[in-house]
Amino acid sequence: MWSYVILVPLLPLLAAIVIGVAGCSLRERSAKAGVLPIITAFLGAVVTLVLVSSKGPISVRFYEPGSVANLALPMGFYIDRLSAVMMVLITVVSTIIYIYSIGYMYQDRGHSRFLALLAFTTFVLLCMVSSANLVMLFVFWQLLSWLLYLLAHNHTHPATLDGAFKTFTLLRVGDVAFLAGIVLAHALYGTIEFQELFARAAATPVILSLGPGSGLEISGVTAVTLLIFIGAMSKSAQFPIHIWLPKSLYAPTPVHALLHAGIINAGGFLLNRLAPLYGLSPTTLHVVFVIGALTAFLGACMMLTQNDIKKTLGYSTIGQMGYMIMECGLGAFALAVFHLIAHGLFKATVFLNCGHVIHAARQEPKFPYKDQAADRGEFSLLTWLTGFIATLVLPLIILLAAHGVLRIPLRDSQGAVIFLFFSWVTSSQAILTLTRLRAVAFWKVAVAMLLTLLLVILTYLLAAESFTYFLYPAPDEVASYFQAAALPAWLFDFLVVATTLLIILGWFLIYARAHVPTIRIPGWVEALRVRLYVLFMNRLYVDLVYLRLGQGLIRVAHRLDKHDVGWLP
Amino acid sequence: MIETWTDPLLMLVVTPFLGAAPGLLLWSKPRMLKVWVLLVTLASLVMIMGVSGRLTGPAAGIPFLFLLPVAAFLSLLGQPAQQEGRVAWLMTLILLGLGLGVLISQNGLKLILLLSVLGLVSLLIGRYKKLSGPQLWWAIGMYSLGVVCLMSSLIAAPPVSSIALLLTYSVLLPLFPFHGGYVGALVGLPGNLPAFLAVLLPSIGFHGVLTLIPRMLGGIVQTLVILALLGALYGSLKALAQYRVVSLLAYAGVAFFAILWWYLATTRTYSPQAVIYLSAVALVTGGLLLAWRAVQARYGDVDLRAISGLAHSMPRFATLLSLLALAAMGLPPFGVFSGFMGMLLTPSLPLSGALLIIVVAWLAASWYFLNWMQQLLFGRHRRDLRHEDLHQTEFASLLILVLILMVLGIAPSRFFESGTPSNGYSTAMESKLWHK
Repeated sequence: MWSYVILVPLLPLLAAIVIGVAGCSLRERSAKAGVLPIITAFLGAVVTLVLVSSKGPISVRFYEPGSVANLALPMGFYIDRLSAVMMVLITVVSTIIYIYSIGYMYQDRGHSRFLALLAFTTFVLLCMVSSANLVMLFVFWQLLSWLLYLLAHNHTHPATLDGAFKTFTLLRVGDVAFLAGIVLAHALYGTIEFQELFARAAATPVILSLGPGSGLEISGVTAVTLLIFIGAMSKSAQFPIHIWLPKSLYAPTPVHALLHAGIINAGGFLLNRLAPLYGLSPTTLHVVFVIGALTAFLGACMMLTQNDIKKTLGYSTIGQMGYMIMECGLGAFALAVFHLIAHGLFKATVFLNCGHVIHAARQEPKFPYKDQAADRGEFSLLTWLTGFIATLVLPLIILLAAHGVLRIPLRDSQGAVIFLFFSWVTSSQAILTLTRLRAVAFWKVAVAMLLTLLLVILTYLLAAESFTYFLYPAPDEVASYFQAAALPAWLFDFLVVATTLLIILGWFLIYARAHVPTIRIPGWVEALRVRLYVLFMNRLYVDLVYLRLGQGLIRVAHRLDKHDVGWLP
Repeated sequence: MIETWTDPLLMLVVTPFLGAAPGLLLWSKPRMLKVWVLLVTLASLVMIMGVSGRLTGPAAGIPFLFLLPVAAFLSLLGQPAQQEGRVAWLMTLILLGLGLGVLISQNGLKLILLLSVLGLVSLLIGRYKKLSGPQLWWAIGMYSLGVVCLMSSLIAAPPVSSIALLLTYSVLLPLFPFHGGYVGALVGLPGNLPAFLAVLLPSIGFHGVLTLIPRMLGGIVQTLVILALLGALYGSLKALAQYRVVSLLAYAGVAFFAILWWYLATTRTYSPQAVIYLSAVALVTGGLLLAWRAVQARYGDVDLRAISGLAHSMPRFATLLSLLALAAMGLPPFGVFSGFMGMLLTPSLPLSGALLIIVVAWLAASWYFLNWMQQLLFGRHRRDLRHEDLHQTEFASLLILVLILMVLGIAPSRFFESGTPSNGYSTAMESKLWHK
């Protein structure tokens, strides 16, 4: 009935074709002609969201699941609330980026090609999030890998080319794992249709042997979800498949905005799309949690030690993606979507603006203008105390709000605690950051802290309640995810305590560094700090490990090639 | 065997042969000769369309019947009309006739025609001597092995005769360690012949294997699986190490066809997905060989590292080569991806650790093809070289190839079904592909 919604992805395709075909002859007119279909696609996505919210999911299939007389690739669209939300996000970000790019790339030789590729990427992203089945999703998932290679754009620049090559190769690793996951899912459950797959996986538990006589076994659903998760890891730049993201820093700025606001969210989307499947495998959810937590931690540490604005933003995205994946691993799938939307909008803005910052920095001869001594001199006890006390009081406020106002039973629900815990960690992080911005007048910082506190708590509670209900209207479903993701009590308590101690330690270090003469920090702490700094600045040497692996493989290939002449062709 | 002059077998085999004979009259006029051989291949295609309804025998041959004249036509179309190409053009017609004959004939005649294909390719490799010493002897040795096995199959009793035939077909549809013939044909022949043989040899081999595999004993099939997996790894590693483009493409073909061998030995069924996969891999290999031939025509037989930045000076070539590379890397919407995906989702395909090796070989293709494409198209633009984009005929042949690969990727699988089920092999068509 509502099959015209497929126009939403097709309009950017139309724009891509128009620009691609007529781009050279029409130049800026074709670029402007592309704006209309993309804006219309955005409006269509909004209408689709409204429709889907009120009337339920829309399904359009161009194949018959039970027939062989189909297209070689089963094309169809399934648009539920998750897809519709993603479509709105993609089209709004694409519209802004496209309009920005018309001016930004105006004098570039490949102006039309670039704009056509942007429009085509929008089409691919829209098709991916509205895919009716696993194979169609995989088709567009792979095309995205290829588009990232093409969008590097300046292929005459050796560093760009190197980055693009590594990006594609690493993304293909994820693609291949995803493919293996699909094949396994089809072999075990006999379908590639989402709803059917979820139903069959829930109804028929399968155990796979990892080797004859080894006694090692794995649940079928765990094997499938783990393989597909590797695909999600690659697209969302999770440790250790994260190195492609900072490598792509030479691409034009609009590509960064699209990448960090749209493409990188593919992993989070995939986990949400397959949430019912992931909900059946606590093991996978725990692995997802560990990988996400590790990526969040390492990404943040590496971000702090980079000296290039684009690399800093790149590692910031890695950290945020880790956060998002960690949320999925804790069963908070809706929160992950909320996170990716917020992060996407924020990061697109930052990237589109970072050129101005670089330009301003080049114009300002005194920048960076502060040295360590000046830093120490600006320490304010008032600001520090406001932040520290606010951070400590925060959990109490959250607990009271959750328990009293929202009537959430905290003792029985690890999931609810996770929501609250996240809101605390995030607001603490925001307040810590504000405290370190000492160029602002102190009372302003204190007020900003309290306002941030209020905003973060309200937003998170809103996210926890409304967005979860919007995406997953069945409360039992949400509860089942939290239940599946529940960590052992001791581990959960340990993580909460460790993070709490880390936050308090952060406050302490700010205080101690401002009072070096009175509070003496042991030498080994400083030595350790330097070592860690060097380690993180060099990105844990993961790039080097990949390089050595690649070189090793090529060496083996050459040795084989050299030695087999004479006995094998 | 052949009853009248209107017998489809006779018509299909004789048309290219008859076309080759007047070609000798045009020997001194390369341009006219090229036009003539193109017309003959088109006439073969039209004739196949006309007689395909009347064909009997192994029905799986029908998709290849169309494939062969198309491959011959496209491989000839982009060739420069120069004297050096004349032998290759006429040999293309002769091999086309022999190939069509092998696909639709049966029993004794089929063996004679197959023997002729093996002998002729072997003779051509020996005549041109483009290969290094060991490679040359390996290639000729493999074709000789094929001939010996073919003769043995006539006198030996089953199952030895079947094994002997299987060995012959493993020379044509390259299977490790009998892939020397295939590699030799692609590396050691001039002009358009490698591009055409990249389609012809595997098609004949596949067609023959289909009739044999279901009759094979379990032990033989297990051996085939192991050899296929070894071949997938070996071909991938060898392709990674190549600096000569033609060798890279030949070993990539070995790796890709090893996947097909694995599939055939594991499932022991005929499926349209396997036909799509074989056709797409063969065509994409032929297409990449043609694209490289266009580079060779401009810069000579150079090393892979000698040329870069062609995207700047040859945009039409760059676009088509990148699309072909995309298809070769197994990305959608091209036939290699659809065929591969379809094979892996065949309900009768058992789960095993071999899948890991298959996907690793698949992954490796992305590495070496991208590396090649990137080296050729991007990087520093060589201003010291004179650049010239594709001519119309070169452009047309590559464009048609890309379009065919796209059609193979998105067309319904039933287009590749056999008209009638043949004896000897089961079919996976009865089972639902996407849903079981």
